[in-house]
Amino acid sequence: MDVLNELVAWFTDPGQWSGPAGIPARTAEHLQYSLLGLLISALVAVPVGLLTGHTGLGGFATASLANFARALPTIGVLFLIVLLVGIGLMPVIIALVALAVPPILVNTHEGVRQVEPALKDAALGMGMRGREVLMHLELPVAVPLIINGMRTAAVQVVATATIAAYVGVGGLGRYIVDGQARQDLTMMVGGSLLVVFLAVVTTLLFAGLSRLLVAPGLRALAATGR
Amino acid sequence: MITFEGAAKHYPDGTVAVAGLDLTVESGRTTVFVGPSGSGKTTSLRMVNRMVAPTSGTVLVDGEDVRSQDPARLRRSIGYVIQQAGLFPHRTVRDNIATVPLLLGWGRSRARARAAELMESVGLEPSQAKRYPHQLSGGQQQRVGVARALAADPPILLMDEPFSAVDPVVRTGLQDELLRLQAELRKTVLFVTHDIDEAIRIGDRIAVFGPGGELAQYDTPERLLTHPVDDFVESFIGYDRGVRRLAFFPANELALREDVLLDDQDTVERALNTVDTAGQPWALVVDAQRMPLGWVDVDRLRHEPSGLELGRLTLTAYGHTFDVERDSLRAALDAAVLSPAGRAVGVDPDGRVLGVVSQADLGNAIWSVS
Ligand SMILES: Nc1ncnc2c1ncn2[C@@H]1O[C@H](COP(=O)(O)OP(=O)(O)OP(=O)(O)O)[C@@H](O)[C@H]1O
Ligand SMILES: [Mg+2]
Repeated sequence: MDVLNELVAWFTDPGQWSGPAGIPARTAEHLQYSLLGLLISALVAVPVGLLTGHTGLGGFATASLANFARALPTIGVLFLIVLLVGIGLMPVIIALVALAVPPILVNTHEGVRQVEPALKDAALGMGMRGREVLMHLELPVAVPLIINGMRTAAVQVVATATIAAYVGVGGLGRYIVDGQARQDLTMMVGGSLLVVFLAVVTTLLFAGLSRLLVAPGLRALAATGR
Repeated sequence: MITFEGAAKHYPDGTVAVAGLDLTVESGRTTVFVGPSGSGKTTSLRMVNRMVAPTSGTVLVDGEDVRSQDPARLRRSIGYVIQQAGLFPHRTVRDNIATVPLLLGWGRSRARARAAELMESVGLEPSQAKRYPHQLSGGQQQRVGVARALAADPPILLMDEPFSAVDPVVRTGLQDELLRLQAELRKTVLFVTHDIDEAIRIGDRIAVFGPGGELAQYDTPERLLTHPVDDFVESFIGYDRGVRRLAFFPANELALREDVLLDDQDTVERALNTVDTAGQPWALVVDAQRMPLGWVDVDRLRHEPSGLELGRLTLTAYGHTFDVERDSLRAALDAAVLSPAGRAVGVDPDGRVLGVVSQADLGNAIWSVS
């Protein structure tokens, strides 16, 4: 009960909601890093996944790379890059990108690969060129899986962007790092709750996004499990 | 006109898919490739739109080697329909049909107007324009597939087993639709099937492919049924080819009997007189509009009160009828064989009875055309 009261006090303290160390500012930083990391990842992973999926080349390389990247401890990556390029925002973003690229890449690749051969045959037979097959058939059919990969990546990125605090660039991780240093449990739990909240919002956001971007014909197909 | 000149396809694993095909497909006609599984029908068909490159020989469209054209451009000028329809799941019916016009840069509104026009010609409801493929039945999907292939009005239509995945009733409907469309459009249709009945129904010319990708016979359906060149073709056609051949003879030359038709107001006594005069064991009862009601036989009539009206009797079902103007001898024979009276009922297009014909009379007619 004590913890709960302290938490309520922590969240309702007006000082908490203003200034550069306040919740809004920290949240904004956190979102900014997450968004930047996700955006860069998508810009890299979606085109590469489309290309490997479309050509059927590099499927093995993609999967291996993704598995390798998945096995990397993000914090380890962060420190390694800090050693290489020094402290700042860049190592944080690189670490987040290393985290987010695999799920997006693998899903995009798989999304394109799962297009039925008969559909590709029909597309080519009607006179579509490679590019047109990709843009008019493979990409739209892969969209649900791509969004799925993006959602997984986004949730991981939001949860992991806390590492920014370790290299002194803020974000919600500050509450956790500072809380740890000061043995302030309330602060740590408060910060964690904020991160969890953001992750939930992210999930909801992607659910909305898929409603918007997935063609109705595909949505119903997915619903009937075909 | 499509010409295959020694066109062959050998795969690296040693498979001979097509062994040097020499064949000319006439313009404006329906040519059917038929044969057992693996006999190279699909492979030959796909040489026409360059989906398969022959390992030797050439394929010419209107005298021009298909290899001299850019594949994508060639394919846009040739309609292509495949077995599973291959409709894009993310596009509406209308946009699926508009695919090639859009590729050709027609602009959305013109392409959609064309799609609407084609939906009507293949027998789809305008309300289905905004549906997605998964919301259609298999037969409807195939109609969309055909409409899509026709969208840019290509002179050639390639169809690879387009109707094989639907039930027999729907298949017959689709075949009728294709025959009707073809009578109107006169495309050069190349149609692949392994169903010989479908081939005979649809084809102006039929190419029978044998094992090993060899062309066994190339002929009109009638010649194929009367003169199969070898045992392979004969067994492929099936041993009931004699009966099938009757499909080429119209039923309108049959001599129909009208003297055994009775009105439902007639009495049993009158009926007995009629059958005795005609010397026939069965009579057909019709209503005031000459619609058939059912059969009645002599033995039965002798046991009924002579003043009773025929309409009050329980009659023997007349089974299915044949349309004298439009059906063939085969349909008439079929109706006679299935009739409990051993007689077929010939009707006009409105279903009114023109007369009946017995199995014996049919036999004579068949004898005279054989
Ligand atoms: N890529 C390939 N590699 C090796 N063999 C192939 C290849 N494609 C087709 N074949 C073989 O070529 C032969 C002819 O195939 P094709 O698809 O033309 O037959 P089909 O007459 O259309 O048969 P079906 O009625 O089953 O569709 C078959 O034996 C098939 O296994
Ligand atoms: Mg085939």
